[in-house]
Amino acid sequence: MEPNEFFKPTTAPREDEARTNLRMTVYVALFTALIIIGGYISIPLPIGPVPIVLADFFTMVTGVFLGYRWGLTSVALYLCLGILGLPVFAGGKAGLAVLFGPTGGFLFGYLFLVAVVGFIVHKGKPSLFKTAMALVAGNLLLYGVGVTWLKTVLKIGWPAAVAAGLIPFIPGIIIKIVVASALARTLLPRFQQGPVPPFRQ
Amino acid sequence: MPILETQNLTHVFPDGTVAIDNINLKIYPGEFVVMAGANGSGKTVLARHFNGLLKPTKGQVLIDGQPITKNILEARKKVGLVFQDPDRQFVGQTVTEEVAFGPENLNLPPAQVEAMVKTALEVVGLNRFSQQNPYVLSGGLKRKLAIAGVLAMQPKIIVLDEPFTGLDYPGVVQVLQQILRLHEMGHTIILITHELEKTLAHAGRLVIINQGKLVEDGQPEAVVYRAEQYGIRMPLRKGEEVKDLTWLK
Amino acid sequence: MAEITFFQYIYGDTILHRMDGRLKLACMLLLSLAASFATALHHYLLAFGLLIFALRLAKLPWTALLKDLRFFGLIILLVISINAWTIPGDPIPTLPLPGLSRQGVVAGLRFAGRLAIIVLVCAVVTGTTPLRTFGQVIEWVLRPIPFVPAARIATMVTLTFALIPVLLGQFAEMMAAQKARGIELRKNPVRRLYYAVFPFLEQMLRRTDQIVEAMEARGYSEVRTRAVFKSTKRDWLIFLLCLSVFLYVCCS
Repeated sequence: MEPNEFFKPTTAPREDEARTNLRMTVYVALFTALIIIGGYISIPLPIGPVPIVLADFFTMVTGVFLGYRWGLTSVALYLCLGILGLPVFAGGKAGLAVLFGPTGGFLFGYLFLVAVVGFIVHKGKPSLFKTAMALVAGNLLLYGVGVTWLKTVLKIGWPAAVAAGLIPFIPGIIIKIVVASALARTLLPRFQQGPVPPFRQ
Repeated sequence: MPILETQNLTHVFPDGTVAIDNINLKIYPGEFVVMAGANGSGKTVLARHFNGLLKPTKGQVLIDGQPITKNILEARKKVGLVFQDPDRQFVGQTVTEEVAFGPENLNLPPAQVEAMVKTALEVVGLNRFSQQNPYVLSGGLKRKLAIAGVLAMQPKIIVLDEPFTGLDYPGVVQVLQQILRLHEMGHTIILITHELEKTLAHAGRLVIINQGKLVEDGQPEAVVYRAEQYGIRMPLRKGEEVKDLTWLK
Repeated sequence: MAEITFFQYIYGDTILHRMDGRLKLACMLLLSLAASFATALHHYLLAFGLLIFALRLAKLPWTALLKDLRFFGLIILLVISINAWTIPGDPIPTLPLPGLSRQGVVAGLRFAGRLAIIVLVCAVVTGTTPLRTFGQVIEWVLRPIPFVPAARIATMVTLTFALIPVLLGQFAEMMAAQKARGIELRKNPVRRLYYAVFPFLEQMLRRTDQIVEAMEARGYSEVRTRAVFKSTKRDWLIFLLCLSVFLYVCCS
């Protein structure tokens, strides 16, 4: 027995660990790609600088499926690719300037969203109610950070910031939360069971 | 000594389904084995044990007399598994990247990786396409690329899982010729299929799996007449012999 | 899905194709930063000039590229018109449309210019750089940082970009299948989003498991061959050119 194995008696054998790591590596890539294309299927609204996007929807789904650790990895990767200059942010934007521009709070907010959702959903027994509550809490944080940021950067009052950065999205948020909860209910147990045996594919 | 051996290999899925049941099989170096069985018979599950993708519930797999659990990476290097639908499993963006993936996993120096990729592409005749996107290749060439991907790791055994699915006639011929060439080069071939009429003439041995059990194992000429009772289409028509069972002229 | 050329490597043997990946990505970073700092008209012209030069140098297929950029063209038009009508200011005497303001049009054009530069930079870089190089460069950058699994992150990046065209193709295919079965008749937005996403996600999860299996079968290991980078004088020259454009735009 190697010494480091001795000190970690509860962890799985090395091979199983490598297998889990590989599986999660590929899933992080999948969900990062989903968040990116979610930003492309976006509709800019003529009301304010924040477009309605599916990127936040896929961020919620990322939290639900990957948990907070791998979920955060996925969102961090997404932000880093944007900083590098690849047009991954909503509507093909990129760069540090977007991250620190008026809507940057919503991008940083994804980190909070995915962390909160991932943490709550994967803590204890899964239930539809808990998933929905996790999504509500995550969105509260996301829009809390996003709207505050918008207000600070544009130097506008609270009413204006809320009118531009929250009110127009409320119907969308509700739809997204309902759908993400429903997806979690049907797909999450299957996901957690692990890969489908080969002959049933 | 057998190059690949399974001892009492059993795999039970978490829901209790017995996928393969007590399989004892010995494959010798240089053999060309056709493994047949109906859909869901367990032949794909069995193949995934050969390089440790699935772990047995009971029993073990030996390569060159060594249990594969001892060094799983070595087992994956020795047993190259070509999947049923390569289209869904390409990990590279160009043909070269795709083939380089295996040797890179072996942590070989870049120059050696490059040399191995070149050799593998030459063997399957894909060097002209080295910078293409794998997805734009034709069905037959995609299958060849998947073969090159495992070939680059210089495996002793090549396992092909239903390599003819979805291929048109020229595609089947292309891939079949390729498999025969690999056999001539000294690789041990295990070909999983239920379409005996396309390949059986080239095999030295026919193994039939039915409902997770190994039910037949022997000379194709002897076994083929009993194939139909296990849900495999009887490939011989009136007046035909096993040596006629090929799609090569 | 194979016909989407944007974000895809297009094989060639040009100066840009052969350029050291590390310097090429540094140039991309500099130019997209420059795009966000650009204010005056000549900044934009300078950047566009450089990019047109780069596109010619890389010999990328213009027509295919433009076709893929249509999508961005639509966004750019939208952004210009939204800005033009929402930002208050003076009307333009020669174009007296109600609600249209001069400041708005200028702001819109500026924004559009930035977006266009970023998209073009990206098209040039992704067109001349295979994905594997992206991963390798990121691995090279992260290598000296302790406790960061550089190889794993590099794999994530490579796979992310490999998956984007697959996802878009799958999504389009699935939407077409749903249209054929009359999804448009559904008025409930919850059901519509659910039926759009559920089969898509289910298929992608399954496919991801297949990718995992394929990688495992070929002995995926995080201890893997590392790239060796070589840079020539010409690579540094291109880098210096991008650096000077960046400095000029930022400081003037």
